[in-house]
Amino acid sequence: MSEEAQAALPLAGIRVIDVATVIAAPYCATILGEFGAEVLKVEHPVGGDALRRFGTPTERGDTLTWLSEARNKKSVTLDLHRPEGVAIFKQLIAESDVLCENFRTGTLEKWGLGWEVLRQINPGLIMLRVTGYGQTGPYADRPGFARVAHAFGGLSYLAGMPKGTPVTPGSTTLGDYMTGLYGCIGVLMALRYREQTGRGQYVDAALYESIFRCTDELAPAYGMYGIVRERHGPSHNDFACPHGHFPTRDGKWVAISCATDKLFARLAQAMNRPELASSSIYGDQKTRLEHRHDVNEIVRDWCGSLTREEVLERCYATATPAAPLNNIADIFGDRQFYARRNLVALDVPETGETIIIPAVIPKLSATPGRIKHLGPKLGEHTDEVLRDLLGLDETQIAELRSKRVI
Amino acid sequence: MTKRTRATESEPVPPQDAAEATEAATPPAPEPDRELLPLSGVRVIDVGNFLAGPYAASILGEFGAEVLKVEHPIAGDPMRRFGTPTKRHDASLAWLSEGRNKKSVTIDLRQPEGVNLFLKLVAHSQVLIENFRPGTMEEWGLGWKQLQAANPRLVMLRVSGYGQTGPYRRRSGFAHIAHAFGGLSYLAGFPGETPVLPGNVPLGDYMSSLYGAIGIMLALRHAERTGEGQVIDVAIYEAVFRQLDEIAGAYALYGKIREREGAGSFVAVPHGHFRTSDDKWIAIACTTDKMFERLAEAMERPELASSGLYGEQRKRLAARDQVNQIVIEWVGSLTRAEVLERCLANEVPVGKLNSIADIFEDEHFLARGNLARVPEEGLGEVTVPGVVPTLSETPGRITNLGPPLGNATYEVMRELLGISADEIKRLRQQKII
Repeated sequence: MSEEAQAALPLAGIRVIDVATVIAAPYCATILGEFGAEVLKVEHPVGGDALRRFGTPTERGDTLTWLSEARNKKSVTLDLHRPEGVAIFKQLIAESDVLCENFRTGTLEKWGLGWEVLRQINPGLIMLRVTGYGQTGPYADRPGFARVAHAFGGLSYLAGMPKGTPVTPGSTTLGDYMTGLYGCIGVLMALRYREQTGRGQYVDAALYESIFRCTDELAPAYGMYGIVRERHGPSHNDFACPHGHFPTRDGKWVAISCATDKLFARLAQAMNRPELASSSIYGDQKTRLEHRHDVNEIVRDWCGSLTREEVLERCYATATPAAPLNNIADIFGDRQFYARRNLVALDVPETGETIIIPAVIPKLSATPGRIKHLGPKLGEHTDEVLRDLLGLDETQIAELRSKRVI
Repeated sequence: MTKRTRATESEPVPPQDAAEATEAATPPAPEPDRELLPLSGVRVIDVGNFLAGPYAASILGEFGAEVLKVEHPIAGDPMRRFGTPTKRHDASLAWLSEGRNKKSVTIDLRQPEGVNLFLKLVAHSQVLIENFRPGTMEEWGLGWKQLQAANPRLVMLRVSGYGQTGPYRRRSGFAHIAHAFGGLSYLAGFPGETPVLPGNVPLGDYMSSLYGAIGIMLALRHAERTGEGQVIDVAIYEAVFRQLDEIAGAYALYGKIREREGAGSFVAVPHGHFRTSDDKWIAIACTTDKMFERLAEAMERPELASSGLYGEQRKRLAARDQVNQIVIEWVGSLTRAEVLERCLANEVPVGKLNSIADIFEDEHFLARGNLARVPEEGLGEVTVPGVVPTLSETPGRITNLGPPLGNATYEVMRELLGISADEIKRLRQQKII
């Protein structure tokens, strides 16, 4: 993309400091970077962000997740345990618009970098603070990870076979990404407010809150009727039947979802048994939920008599909501993923390895986001930033490096 | 890389001075104007159904936007009938919660007069959110071209199962379908066994709305600077797929197909769900060796964290079943309260697997205001999830729960569009509004 096109991105001219680790708050910075912000990833000089070691390593040493999620960022090393590091950090804050952090509560304060200090340096600063439990409340000091947030926020309890062991709800990092999304919304709101009033603020995001917010009527139903939602395994939920996963003859799985009676009528047609959707049999959601075992059995038998491809073809022909349970190999072979360009390949310059990563979403028509480069090497941009942004000379930089401040 | 020219730069604050600043020394900030929210003055039309997209409108409304929910005059949004009903015939609990802060305006988009009214409304708004099957709005004469002609600065969010492009674009898509297609459902359940729902909630609807809200905020910024509107095209499956960390990279590079892992994780042990002696569940996440050391201390078996035994993640992964068995036995010998107490004393990352009943009793949920009790006429108090994220200066708010069908039709037709009372009456009689 040309320099001119980049300048037109919505966040061109916005500078973000990402001093956070792993995925939650850093993913907010990733999105801001995709849409034009300059993101400075501030890392400890030894080892850097733990995300560099999370998951599968590459030839360069950094892991795949790092290369993907640190896309577009510039790496600047700085030891915040040292007074000189703190002083440089404050200079960076004075030159920036947004700060993303996810230390345990009180950590930045301990280093003399709490909100009250930072806002004096830069009254327009927007600070995203992500923790497991938030900055306030009785559990604020507890360590929090996405797995714990899935449990605490009420999601894990709802995944698994009835009364069986609750399972991971698909991925152990959902809560991290979702909190990155909420954080990003908060930052964009705060940026807008700042541009109207000049006032900065902080966004206080808790991993568990992102999970809990996505539980539709779970809370009101308990509040009003005392309904405790349970896990139901694979094939229905509290409101819809059939709604779940069914094995096909070739040992694969399909998902079918009939949220309304109309959709069940389409499924009945796909199964060549339109009579099932008559009001005297299973035409009403209420009846289907009451007889869910029988209904699921009928769908299971039908799916089991056909290959995955055959089931899907018949469902699509009648516009029944259905899909394969894709594994990643299925995804790499799928036309829709290709047509939407959901996978992009980039080379690691140092090793020549080609890495495939998920492309930018959401898709904007006039100002599409972009991936300029993969996650940087540790400290790759330290000199550039200290020299060009903070005006330090080569001698000063060399001295900081010899003292391991950077 | 450019230096900033802002007030602070002409009077730089020396870092050492700032380091000495304390909360006590900070001058009290002037009371912020609580009326002014980041999206005050922005009008949003939400013509979507259910959640994927409409939840983006809910967020915008929480932070100050005026949200007009445009619904069919007779049926309204099917979300009104989705889930558990209430005494209010047009409002399920899910509608009450997620229809928060919206005003309901009825317009029949299948009638030409309805289309004209809708275009007038679009001309008076900044944002439009829809989630019909791709091509539907075009059939009604409400494609991007017509909308853009009515309002060149319009920001339009389009959410669909598969996106506006690609071979599957016309297929119907719901969160559940997107969880499967996007690769999440395949990963939920025990190895080799039935894949279960990745949590009995419509995650994909929420996730796609979060991406949608981000897209809207970015596009609004662009529109206000350049006068150029645009379309944000969100596929629910893409929102789901984007959450799966290195799954694509690992398959491309090493052919690794991630499988279901039950209650565990492929990167760390012990990292999962464990049953306590009182038949409850807790989650433990020892992502690093340091955390396992703390757990070993909590179990009063510090020797387990020695390098000769299970001190290193590599060794724990190799002896996954043995390590998990030790934790299963220890957790199973204590009540949930006891396990939590001992883990927390040692700073082990641990949490209850909360049911909604647990959540209502939890002091932290209460302290954070996560359960908002909103009075609703005829229903008493309805408890709904509070606003997230929490903003320090401009906290979001809930002004009302999901409105009755058409509660703002007259107000909007009369005051915003300047239609006469007689004309409104006629439109109503003809069931156009």
